[in-house]
Amino acid sequence: MRRLMTLLLLCCLAPFAHTQTNDALLQHVLAELGRHAAVRADFTQTRSNPALDKPQVSQGRLLFVLGRGMLWQTVSPYRETLALTGGRTARIDADGYAHPMRSERGISQVSQMLQGMLGGKVDEALRQFSVTASGTPARWTLRFVPKQDRVARVLGNISLEGDDYLQGITIAMQDGARTEIRFVHTREAGPLAALEKRALGLP
Amino acid sequence: MTPRTLKLRAGLFAVATLLVAALGAYLLFGRGPLPIQTDLLAMLPATEQNPLAEAAVERLAHANGDRMVLLVENADDTRAKGAARALGKALAAHKVFGAVTAELPPFDLAQLAAPYLGHRGWLLTDADRDALAQAGYDPAQALAQRLNEPFLTGVGMPLADDPFGWLQHWLAQQPWSRSPLLPEDDLLVAHRGEATYVLVTATLDGSSYDDGMQRRALGALHEAEARIEHDYPGTRMLHTGAVFYAAAARAGAEHDVHMVGWISSIGIALLLLGVFRSPGPLLLAFLSTAVGVLAATTLSLLVFGKIYLLTLVFGAALLGEAADYSIQYLSARANAGVHWQAGTGLRQVRPALLLALATSLLGYALLGLVPFPALRQMAVFAIGGMSAACLSVFWLLPALLQRPSKPMTPALVRGARALQHVLARPAHGWRGALAALLLLLLALPGWMQLRHDDDVRNLIAQPAALTAQEAQIREITGLGNGSQFYLVQGKDREQTLQHEEALEARLQALVDGGKLEGWLGLAGMVPSQARQARDHALLARLFDDPARLRRTLADAGFRAAAIDAWLAAWPGTPLQLDDWLKTPLSTPFRQLWMGCGAQGCASLVLPQGSADDELLAHAADGLPGVQLVDKPASVSGLFGRYRGYASVWLLAAVLLIVPVFGWRYGLRRAPRVLAPPVLGIALTLAALGYLDQPLTLFHWMALMLVLGVGANYAVFLHEGEPHTAGRPGAMYASVLLSALTALLSFGLLALSSMPALRDFGLTLLLGIAFTALLVPASRAGSMGEP
Repeated sequence: MRRLMTLLLLCCLAPFAHTQTNDALLQHVLAELGRHAAVRADFTQTRSNPALDKPQVSQGRLLFVLGRGMLWQTVSPYRETLALTGGRTARIDADGYAHPMRSERGISQVSQMLQGMLGGKVDEALRQFSVTASGTPARWTLRFVPKQDRVARVLGNISLEGDDYLQGITIAMQDGARTEIRFVHTREAGPLAALEKRALGLP
Repeated sequence: MTPRTLKLRAGLFAVATLLVAALGAYLLFGRGPLPIQTDLLAMLPATEQNPLAEAAVERLAHANGDRMVLLVENADDTRAKGAARALGKALAAHKVFGAVTAELPPFDLAQLAAPYLGHRGWLLTDADRDALAQAGYDPAQALAQRLNEPFLTGVGMPLADDPFGWLQHWLAQQPWSRSPLLPEDDLLVAHRGEATYVLVTATLDGSSYDDGMQRRALGALHEAEARIEHDYPGTRMLHTGAVFYAAAARAGAEHDVHMVGWISSIGIALLLLGVFRSPGPLLLAFLSTAVGVLAATTLSLLVFGKIYLLTLVFGAALLGEAADYSIQYLSARANAGVHWQAGTGLRQVRPALLLALATSLLGYALLGLVPFPALRQMAVFAIGGMSAACLSVFWLLPALLQRPSKPMTPALVRGARALQHVLARPAHGWRGALAALLLLLLALPGWMQLRHDDDVRNLIAQPAALTAQEAQIREITGLGNGSQFYLVQGKDREQTLQHEEALEARLQALVDGGKLEGWLGLAGMVPSQARQARDHALLARLFDDPARLRRTLADAGFRAAAIDAWLAAWPGTPLQLDDWLKTPLSTPFRQLWMGCGAQGCASLVLPQGSADDELLAHAADGLPGVQLVDKPASVSGLFGRYRGYASVWLLAAVLLIVPVFGWRYGLRRAPRVLAPPVLGIALTLAALGYLDQPLTLFHWMALMLVLGVGANYAVFLHEGEPHTAGRPGAMYASVLLSALTALLSFGLLALSSMPALRDFGLTLLLGIAFTALLVPASRAGSMGEP
């Protein structure tokens, strides 16, 4: 999960100018996404799984800060704030203090496979995934398919859709599990609250 | 003694020497590989009281010792991987490697989880255990949080098999999930910055310390590396392993033996030629020394079975001291001029030689008492060599030196005489005591600056390039350092694992506090039965009410079939250590289990990354059955203790010599004879202080030799001068000759590549020089003014 986060960070972030693909659309998308230093959005995550007869739906708010990480604030069906910064996951208490979650470290073998992306370089993502871009700059889709056989046996693909901002993420697993995240009200974050800064470890 | 008996004796001695030579040759070459030990660790003493700890040290050293760890680095990912595959193939083609691992066999993620599936009702992570143990634990809430985790959930472990994620969390903290190396394209890969690193390991088909093995393995590696660096531009290779250190140590020692051996041989040859003005004495001096070295090598091989590299280096230096005896005899012959008679000459020098030999043997015998294999072997080597060299003077040389020779170069004798006068003048009568006091005052500030350093890592110099590479490899791969570990013992498997768990709780606290990178232990992979039972009991609180648990799962949206299957798998069975040790998954970790014996069972826990020694020792404090084994620290501690003893021994040796000198020279004169070596030692210590050299055991060992050699010089001068009354200065000239040959041999060790020998050499250099300059003072009262 955390590594996937990193992937998202990578996709949304700046150091894209030297990405190795010569796909102009991809370049454009990456450049556009990288222009926003901090973004807020409301999210809806829908997860389906062969073991579940109805999908799980959660909602909440997301704060995304370039080069720092994100706060994933679930409001429904329960209240919880997670800080996903670099290689760490932490649960944030009511006062904005982070409590590291040890068991979340390397949450799964797949996450381990994705560790290559931890360095914070899109090169890492390109090493692990083949990326294809489709659509127009106003309405685009990036599709990530794992290159590694071991990963591909578990993870089908990841696709990102958006316009000026990232609008949605879909993660399809080989066992039929599927996670869809939609973002609405995406906007520039403006100044951060003291609590948010503390949770993200910002000065 | 007639020339006939002299010849008969010489003949017998020659035959004995040939027999010894034959025996030595057989011991050295006749029994398979050359019995020369290059493993520096093998020279170190057994430090652990617990024999299991020594066994564990050996096991880890062997597990890591015969393996080369190679990292292929390239900024270009494809090239790095291509280069690693090519390297794997190139090395695998060589017979010298037993096993080469570059590409991994294909395996499935499910394989990692499979051995644990049947035991999932017994295994919990610390975090899950804490959460479940809390009074307000709400399974519905926990399930909701798990199912709505951002982005991904239930990867590798199907959600139906592990709804709450307990097993997945547990698997995620296993060492193979935490390793910084990841399987990528069937290779083990790490990425740092721009660069890709690929791991290749090669296990030698033999010992890293085998000379031939070393040469072939390194040859094959260098050849492969050169080709790959050419074929894949930008590739850099990092490597580590005992074989590289052993090869470097061997090269260093060979260099030392060559340099010290050659310079000292050539230097001594020129010196002897210059003094005796004919090649005969030179050849005889070398003959006597050769007999000594031959006997010493044979004796050491007989006693120890093999010879340490360090002993050979030391042996190269011993040439100088062994030459002393023949030099004294040759000097006597040169000084006797036309009146020379081999038998009489021998009687004349015999007391001096015997006295000198006795003091030397005393010194070396004390060295042999140190329970340190390398030093003990040096002592045996020296005792054998000295005795044989001395015997050769008594039995072999007289037969070969029947005719008188030219006197010593007159200029030299005149020079020695002048020097002797200058040095002796301030030491007449009571002025001598005053001069000694003045010297001691000068030495005082030097003594004040003396300090100690017993760290064995400073004594065995390891090439900086190799240690830097090893550190980098360790940082990238997360491999442990192997020289520090915990030995955990218990009366049975269960207790051993429980003791491990107590230790690992403390280590994990250090990890959480950022003070330790990680740890590797079996209890993390196979918890004790007691812990599994406790975890099972925590889970049982949920499973005891299956209807409620079923409702919770159904409310969360789980299908009935999935719920049935999951509930049916309860309670499962606890994971057993013996079963786990049979799974392929445990292969890399099996060396951590030491097995069970009459004394109980034992296992190893390895701290990872570089941590503070104090901190690691502290973590074991007060835990039953847990002991930190830190070989370098133990050896350093032992060196420190023996350094302390050595200073006492030195004093004891001086006190032992006092009655010998008192008997021979009378109690009034004895202090004067003893003063030069004792003052020499005092001044050497001061000089070491001024040079800011921290004292080690090796400095003290050298000081013992200074005492032995210094006493020899005083004895030679005292015993010899009455016989050379007609040639003032001649006796001192021969003492100076002895000192110079010693400096040319021992003193050259100061140039050695190994710090231990360097310390040794420098101390001898200073000590012998001081003593040789002080020795005239011991005869100050007996000499007429010029």
